[in-house]
Amino acid sequence: MVKYPRLQSLRAITDLIGRYYEERGPETQLRPLAYVTSGAPVEILETMGISTLYPENYGAICGARQSSVELCQVAEGAGCPADLCSYARGHLGAVMAPGAAPLELAPPDLLVCCTNICGTVQKWYEALAELYDVPLFLLDVPFQRRTPAEPHIVAYVAAQMRELVDWLEAHTGRKLQPERFREVLELSREAVALWQEILAFGQYHPSPINAPDLFIAMSPIVALRGTRQVIDVYRGFKAELEERVVQGVGAVPGERHRLLWDNIAIWYRLHRFFRPFMNAGACFVADTYTNAWAVELAVDDPFNGLAQTYTGVFINIDLPTRLATIADLAERFGADGMVMHANRSCKPFSITQGDVRDALRAELGLPVLILEADMCDSRLYNEGAVRERVAAFLEVL
Amino acid sequence: MLRRCKLRPEDRPQLGFLTPYVPEELFHAAGFTPVYVFHKPDDRGFARGHLPGFTCWVAGSALDQALAGDLDDLAGMALAQTCDTMQGLTDLWRRNAGRIPLFHFAMPTRLDGPAVRRYLLAELEDLRRRVEGWIGQAVSDDDLHGSIALYNHTRALVRELYGRAVAIDPRESYSIVRDALQQPKETFNAEAGDRIQTASTLLPLSAYPPLVLVGPSLADPVLFDVIAGAGARVVGDLLDLGERYFALDVAEEGGPLEALADRLLSLVPTPTKHQSERSRANHLLSLVEARGARGVIFARQKFCDPHGFDYARIAPALSKAGIPHLLVELEQASQVGQLRTRVEAFVEMLS
Repeated sequence: MVKYPRLQSLRAITDLIGRYYEERGPETQLRPLAYVTSGAPVEILETMGISTLYPENYGAICGARQSSVELCQVAEGAGCPADLCSYARGHLGAVMAPGAAPLELAPPDLLVCCTNICGTVQKWYEALAELYDVPLFLLDVPFQRRTPAEPHIVAYVAAQMRELVDWLEAHTGRKLQPERFREVLELSREAVALWQEILAFGQYHPSPINAPDLFIAMSPIVALRGTRQVIDVYRGFKAELEERVVQGVGAVPGERHRLLWDNIAIWYRLHRFFRPFMNAGACFVADTYTNAWAVELAVDDPFNGLAQTYTGVFINIDLPTRLATIADLAERFGADGMVMHANRSCKPFSITQGDVRDALRAELGLPVLILEADMCDSRLYNEGAVRERVAAFLEVL
Repeated sequence: MLRRCKLRPEDRPQLGFLTPYVPEELFHAAGFTPVYVFHKPDDRGFARGHLPGFTCWVAGSALDQALAGDLDDLAGMALAQTCDTMQGLTDLWRRNAGRIPLFHFAMPTRLDGPAVRRYLLAELEDLRRRVEGWIGQAVSDDDLHGSIALYNHTRALVRELYGRAVAIDPRESYSIVRDALQQPKETFNAEAGDRIQTASTLLPLSAYPPLVLVGPSLADPVLFDVIAGAGARVVGDLLDLGERYFALDVAEEGGPLEALADRLLSLVPTPTKHQSERSRANHLLSLVEARGARGVIFARQKFCDPHGFDYARIAPALSKAGIPHLLVELEQASQVGQLRTRVEAFVEMLS
């Protein structure tokens, strides 16, 4: 069996996230605490000294620890249809039955939900507001149906961000200090720039990094944007990747194929899913999922800049622009195929995949495999079918 | 760039729409007859290559019909921002069915808050400009006022229908509501009064348990056949395109776009919209009480996320209030036998 070189600095990242969750346990001192969606403008909360917690990230952890199905079943027992998002079902299940959860979380004081990633978060956070009886701010981000975003849409999002500041101030008594805001935005910009540099390492031949490494490494850019900690761990991570490049070490020994990945990871099979690819010398050099947090932040005009950035996230933009982004990834990273996870839980990522596949085949001649599964609900994972289809795809490559 | 649509006043071509938040009056004022595109049980397989298997059939059928050529008579299509699936359909329509131009109306998700109304007005103005650019002529405030008055008349008639729903066979009420969404309003307004009169004299009241229906839209007549066959009546609903859709008129004075915006923001929200101080569960409980309903049927389209979450929140409130309820899931083609068994058992329990 081939042995794969481990990235040692991933340990610092998982330790950081471990501490992050320890600090946010039931007895947390981090008050006020807001639950936020992964696409929320966390820089505003960070500036105002409001701690945050990401139920989506928690969902990924539950998935990776094989706990999601049990938690989903709790929510289903309470009336949640089984075809709804497994992050939402799993988290609601953990709130209803904390004893079944791998980690117990501190209850929130506030909820901040931003609809730029999906409509599910609206319903999920409405349910949380009811379960915890805490206030909810819904930041409504319309679909960016044309790129660049239309001015009235950006103005609407920016106005709500200002309203969010007033709302947070009214609920916590904390102010947004302009100087601190600039500092946090600068830290966030720096973290995003570092994350972009890390992702760019996939362009090397062989690539020193593979998508499953990125799925582990991404937690801080999601959960700790705007803090110094994320910059520190990513510098260490970047240094290790640089070293690999100098030494010519690839993430997949004997790299023969370079692939793109689309959609959220299959958390409960994170390593096992990728192993047949590694065994065939296939490295996932870039993906649309971790790239979603690599959008450059405009810091000069904070509210408008944030509004533009958060409206233009990958899964909220028009298909032609998404296609151009994927084609650009394929070209820059020298990809010779793509695997798309048709994720039952994530419609914004999945619904146009058939057309993306057709376009990539027709315009770039790339072979594309679409696999239906779910990010956390392993009951929807057909081991045998996946194995066969992956083997057939690798033959084609 | 849209191909220019040349209109002659006598044409009044049809324009299809989806979702319960399209400002129909604006398209009517521009010279079109807005027609709701209901999903159909037959699947020709045209949409399957474009959509994953876990997509709701409301969207799947619309794309299937468009790609099969069934909608070629439509001059255009409109849909409003509601759910992730409709957002995805916007992209897929433009790419694959672009010969029928699509107007996307970015209805806000929030229905209250200081920035919402200003944004909605800007979006309505933007839509008016896009439509004007397409037909090559202005859509005046006077045109809009005329259409608003016509639509208010339709809404008043449908409200009258719901006011008498207790005495009407659910199949007939459904057929009238469906016509209100598909017929030219001029025709509907001329005929509906008599139809409602005739329909509301048929049922002996005491024998039929009264029900309220909750769900996305009224597409599948099978459900109404089954309810009627089980011997129940539908005395009210919280369907996206049901009673709530016709509940409020548009003000006929003042700026017409402002008036359209105010109606859209004031309707009882569908599950895709957020209103901080308004709960669908409370609205439903009041409706059940006001109409003397004995039970509630949730008719959820399979894979519909907003109504799935909505059910999970509302069902416990009904249980707490001691109101029996039943969830039925509608798929591409309804499993009539199973649907009938479940609805009959539910109605029997209520009787």
